[in-house]
Amino acid sequence: MAPVLPIPDRDSEPYWAALAAGRLELQKCLDCGHWTWPPRPICSFCQSDHLSWREVAGTGEVHSWVTTHNVYSAAFAQLVPYVTLLVRLDEQADILIPGQFRSVVEPYQGLKVRARTEPLTDQIGELSWEVDG
Amino acid sequence: MTTKFPRNQAAIAGIGATEFSKDSGVSVFSLAARAVKAAVADAGLEPKDIDGLATFGPNDSVAPNLLAPALGIKSLSWYVDQFLGGSVSMSILGQAALAVSAGVAECVVCYRALNGRSGARMNGSGAFVQRPPWDMQFKASTGYIVPAQEIAMAARAHMLRYGTTSEDLGRLAILCRNNAIDNERAMMRKPLTMEDYLDSRWIVEPFRLFDCCLETDGAVAVAVVSADRAKDLPHRPVMVRGAAWGGGVNLINNGHTDLADSPATLIADRLYGAAGVGPSDIDFAELYDCFTYTLLSQIEGYSLCDAGEVPARLVEGSFSRDGGSLPINTAGGLLSEGYLHGMNHVFEAVEQIRGSAGPRQIDRHDTALVTGQLGYVSGYSSALILEGAR
Repeated sequence: MAPVLPIPDRDSEPYWAALAAGRLELQKCLDCGHWTWPPRPICSFCQSDHLSWREVAGTGEVHSWVTTHNVYSAAFAQLVPYVTLLVRLDEQADILIPGQFRSVVEPYQGLKVRARTEPLTDQIGELSWEVDG
Repeated sequence: MTTKFPRNQAAIAGIGATEFSKDSGVSVFSLAARAVKAAVADAGLEPKDIDGLATFGPNDSVAPNLLAPALGIKSLSWYVDQFLGGSVSMSILGQAALAVSAGVAECVVCYRALNGRSGARMNGSGAFVQRPPWDMQFKASTGYIVPAQEIAMAARAHMLRYGTTSEDLGRLAILCRNNAIDNERAMMRKPLTMEDYLDSRWIVEPFRLFDCCLETDGAVAVAVVSADRAKDLPHRPVMVRGAAWGGGVNLINNGHTDLADSPATLIADRLYGAAGVGPSDIDFAELYDCFTYTLLSQIEGYSLCDAGEVPARLVEGSFSRDGGSLPINTAGGLLSEGYLHGMNHVFEAVEQIRGSAGPRQIDRHDTALVTGQLGYVSGYSSALILEGAR
């Protein structure tokens, strides 16, 4: 079964392309320094138009997680049960990014994880998480 | 907080519903028409009296511009066809109250019709049209697809902060089931034990089967008119005392850092300000229970008890229909009555306020809190405070 490809829009194309190239990049405001995710045309903090794509460390902490047993999409039928993490990025407390957990350990709140990237196409990469270190 | 809501200027004068089932055998259009006709008849009015229609849904309901000609409405004065699901369910009632109190429309019927089991299912099968890609692109590709997963994520965060347990969620499922047993409209009327609950299969941990509401075919409609006009109609007018909608955030950001916080807090003060009442004035509550945890989160978020105290209050029976200080989901809710996307909660609140809830009737039934789904999924929450005319 082919992976489910996200449908990028003009604001998010650089995000998916960076993941395809192996980097987790977010928008950083050149005026106030605030990070914005998910991708948007203006800074969520100061509403500036001056945003720049910057690579982040790719590390964070587990805030919450779920284990999906039900098959909601045929693309994930072979994968159940699978664990989805909500990860609080080290750069900024209010950025929580979901993604599958690739390590085979029981998650807990505060568990240090690191982003993994995998190209799905030239322009789209997948973000998942694994235990850091 | 003061809010300039047209308090008590609009009233629900009629309610209508179809049978709730797993396979209606008819079109969504047919379900909508039946419920709307029933609502206006209940109000002592006729379809030709309708001049406003309001509905919502993720492309699975019937639009006002299809329904109006079928109902013989010569010229529609006002409509809302709100995209999205349960999070906006109470907003269409709030908007209808605004329209009627402003005089833009005289008789607005708010309706929701869906073949939620036999047709377009929430898991994306059937004829369901995908939600717009803006936020789905960051979720669906990783297998994080449905509200069950997103609300389970919040439930886990609450468990980690407060020690909330599976048994606590089970008590909420059992409470709703108990309230459905004597409800002839309810789809699930067999008693549910804690053992049944704990033995049910995992859907998305920490949610089991009985943490999740029912996929349902059916329709509910309610007729909203001015408070003055409602006085001359057959039933006790159910005033829209206050309403609030908006507030939420989707994908946690913009300063929101913890899923254990109830998104209801983002609209609760505005809701009570609009109504000019506080949580202690609420006689009963019909809370959007697409999952057990949303019930818990709303009891906290609308300040019906302190955060973290719901489990103890459940054990004490505070939310029980039989003698509890604040009965909730008196007909069984979305968990056990049926998933009419929150509109069945309005129907039940009106029955209770009128005093016509039969075996389910509670003693203190003048003021109700009725809510839609919480933010964090769609980015919106919505809620009403309804009150019987004195």
